[in-house]
Amino acid sequence: MSRLSSELKQVFWVIAAFGALGAVTPFFDDYTQTIITRALVFAIMAMSLDILMGYTGLRSMGHGVYFAFGAYSTAILVTKVKGVGLLTLFGAGLGLSFLVAAFLGFLAIRAVGVYFLMITLSFSMVVWGLAYRWHTVTGGDNGIAGILPPPLFGISLQNPVAFFYFTLGVFLICLGLLYLLVKSPFGKTLVGIREGEARMKMLGYNTWLHKYLAFVISGTFAGISGVLWAMLNRFIAPTDVELVTSVEALLMVALGGPATLVGPAIGAAIVMFLRYWVSTFIERWYLILGATYIITILYAREGILGKVEGLLAWRKAGREAGAAIPRVQKQPEEIRT
Amino acid sequence: MAETQPRLELEAVSKQFGGLHAVEDVNLRLREGGRHGILGPNGAGKTTLFNLITGVLPTTSGRISLFGQDVTRWPTHKRTAMGMARTFQITSLFPKLTVLDNVLLAVQGLRRMKLMMFRPLASYKDVYEKAEKLLTDVNFWHLRDQQVRNLSHGEQRQLEVVLGLASDPKVLLLDEPSAGLATGESREMADFLNSLDKDLSILIIEHDLDVLFGVVSQITVLHYGKVLLEGPSDQVRNDQQVNEIYLGKG
Amino acid sequence: MKAKWLVLLAAAGLALGAGAAQGAPREVRIGFIAPLTGPFAQVGKDQVNGFILYLEQNKYKMGPLTVKFTAEDYEAKPALAVAKAQKLIQRDKVHVFLGGLLAPTGYALAPVADQFKRPYLSPAPAGEDQTQRKRHKYYARLSFTSGQCQHALGDWAYEQGHRRIATVGADYAFGYESVGGFQRGFEDKGGKVVAKVWPRLGTVDFGPYLPLIPRNVDAVYALMVGPMSLAFPKQFKAAGFKMALLGGTTSTDEFILPNMGDEAIGYVTTSHYSAAIDTPKNHAFVKDFQKRFGKMASYYAENSFTAALYINEALKRTGYNPDKIEVWLEELKKIRVDAIRGPVYLDSYANPVQNCYIRKVERVPGDRNNLGVKANSLWNVVIKTYPAVSQFWNYKPEDFLKHPVYDKDFPPCKFCGQ
Repeated sequence: MSRLSSELKQVFWVIAAFGALGAVTPFFDDYTQTIITRALVFAIMAMSLDILMGYTGLRSMGHGVYFAFGAYSTAILVTKVKGVGLLTLFGAGLGLSFLVAAFLGFLAIRAVGVYFLMITLSFSMVVWGLAYRWHTVTGGDNGIAGILPPPLFGISLQNPVAFFYFTLGVFLICLGLLYLLVKSPFGKTLVGIREGEARMKMLGYNTWLHKYLAFVISGTFAGISGVLWAMLNRFIAPTDVELVTSVEALLMVALGGPATLVGPAIGAAIVMFLRYWVSTFIERWYLILGATYIITILYAREGILGKVEGLLAWRKAGREAGAAIPRVQKQPEEIRT
Repeated sequence: MAETQPRLELEAVSKQFGGLHAVEDVNLRLREGGRHGILGPNGAGKTTLFNLITGVLPTTSGRISLFGQDVTRWPTHKRTAMGMARTFQITSLFPKLTVLDNVLLAVQGLRRMKLMMFRPLASYKDVYEKAEKLLTDVNFWHLRDQQVRNLSHGEQRQLEVVLGLASDPKVLLLDEPSAGLATGESREMADFLNSLDKDLSILIIEHDLDVLFGVVSQITVLHYGKVLLEGPSDQVRNDQQVNEIYLGKG
Repeated sequence: MKAKWLVLLAAAGLALGAGAAQGAPREVRIGFIAPLTGPFAQVGKDQVNGFILYLEQNKYKMGPLTVKFTAEDYEAKPALAVAKAQKLIQRDKVHVFLGGLLAPTGYALAPVADQFKRPYLSPAPAGEDQTQRKRHKYYARLSFTSGQCQHALGDWAYEQGHRRIATVGADYAFGYESVGGFQRGFEDKGGKVVAKVWPRLGTVDFGPYLPLIPRNVDAVYALMVGPMSLAFPKQFKAAGFKMALLGGTTSTDEFILPNMGDEAIGYVTTSHYSAAIDTPKNHAFVKDFQKRFGKMASYYAENSFTAALYINEALKRTGYNPDKIEVWLEELKKIRVDAIRGPVYLDSYANPVQNCYIRKVERVPGDRNNLGVKANSLWNVVIKTYPAVSQFWNYKPEDFLKHPVYDKDFPPCKFCGQ
């Protein structure tokens, strides 16, 4: 089937691109390396949000919540428990964000549209408040410093290159799992819900359950990015988990291209590049981000990757129209559109 | 082996929106292989009735049974699971998905694998084969990779019915299947409906009388939410009152 | 406004000639991380401007070295400050970096200093523990700890005859630590803090909090920050409170003061600096700052200026070799500097021992001392100086450190409700 082979081609190119990234990164200077690592961490966050926002059509302003639980659980464990291992950190971060998402999902999923947005926004505010006010656990305003990543099989992750590869590995695992998810029967139902929830119900789907599961999965993956972020920055404070974090995740998805997985990762890279690289030359880098966003909304509503894919598909359709005819027995003229 | 009980039964079903009686005291029975039409001017409560039957709206009073089971308070998807399907008056396909994806979604709707997360959909041969059969039957297979929004209106109406059939329903509710079709296309639609499995029970709302009388044997006429008349199509066609109110001829 | 704070100066030929002759390093690279956008942008600019004033006065030279100065914006987000510190160290190869405004940034940056073995000199973040229980080798503070001068104000309040005082402190770490210092200084002498009120950070309507302040106290100590500082004295007076009003470093700092009205007159606060210090050095500083940047010098600016002074002094005494980081940092921690604020040296915990000024807000007619400041301005007039005050007040460090860091519940409010 041509459709399968073109998908395989896409997978190949994505793997090749990240392979290349893995190969060249050690040759960049330390600071660029950390920017790339940051972009990968936020790419996981953006991809996880894409499941909810791009595929299911639920715009959440609460993704910072799971990020916060991932980051703070890591920070607290590393600083309070001697010799804590990576497995424990990921276990705790994932488990916690899973539980929190499972709970919040019950409250949020019945709402739609702007109400869903408002409810998830309120989650963000509550968690920020928790980080800020629950002094004894979170260090409040002062945050938690000294979050050193534990070693992986005896290899120290305190070296920036080692941590980059580790992050790249985690990122690729997440990308792989999420890719499987969106290609699965379940993933297809999410798109169906986005495109027509009433029809999905009529087709026999318990759409609440599907949306709820998407919400929980999405939140759990966001927790992973929190765990990595804490270890990368070695510091976490309420300013890391305020509403802006959730909004930026939303921006990354919109910018890169909703429902493309790789698009939001690109969106994350763009935002991180602007924040950490361009901002050292241009103080008002937010203006550039804003302009980029507006241009995206005006000229590429489907996001950067969506636009590129659209253009490619359009060109391809033009080229392949002739080639497709022989496979069809009847009414060949109809597909020549 | 004919079933004795009706597949779908409405007993004194009513729906009120505030002070408005959208549907009032409607009784209806649909048996195996039954072809039942619903006729009525705009605002007579036809689509509301469908929404009550499918569980999109809750009833105000009355009882709805499917295969003898009281489903009055059941959610939509559970009714679908019992073997009921529906099409919509306003085409409600998944416009940005391909024809094949539309049908695949419809096919897997009642299968357990719909919750499978870590195995590609493409690997489910049986689901694909079923989709292929459905599309081949209506001569749509060559359109499988087209986005639905690029299909003609007539094609979309037909696909609407294909989606309804994908779950192998025993009761099919069709809401104006020929809405917006040209005369030729309407006739095709009528032929298509007549070609469906004879055991299938169909409840159909239709304004195009040629289609309606060509397909159904029994008709219920709704007027301001109430049943004005119920009877065989010939009787309804010749009824004075119906002609005055609805058909507009003397 | 300049798009970028990156400033590289000095005639190229001159620098080449001076350095190449000896084969010694020709430049010292200094990074500064300040909040240059967002709600703290104006304070952040004061911080950077203080440093720039020093550099400009010295033609971007420290002895034979050309100063390459890079400022970075961190939007008042500690995590971003960490990233910017990494950028300064890794990309700009700075010898030393400064920065941060609020305590969290200080706590966030100190570990970065140790990680990269690059000194971090703190020009503002006042978190007590950074020079107490959570110290870092490559870290030194050139400003003050939250509680440091508050001890002295507590002492002074008792001497004024106050016996019962209520405190109102912004509900976050800096508030707890300032109130804690004041309470200890005051209660050690025999005074009683009888109520502690904690308005949310950023409160501008104190309606819900004012009724919690008992009317039968001798004075109220109010530790406010930012917009809170402007709103509180007005509402305090309007609510009919007649007792003396005392306050902390940020309650009437020179950043807030020009925006205050007559309600602030008589407000007694403490700080390690006041623009009204009557020394020729300070007069010159205030005058130059006013001339160059068009506003009254604040302690933020003075801190940065002093930091520059410190770096120069440490480099000078070690032969202007910025690459020998451990050597000049060691020296920096030992030296005594005659700063604008007065004599300063670091204790063995890397926190300044310095004067604490008890200041009273007064409206001074005309242009005080002809410094070019707007006529009839409010000034923090110094009414008493506590010389050489340490962060440990009059305790031995070991004894002081036996207690937990000042918090909402420490020191405990033994006399609350009495």
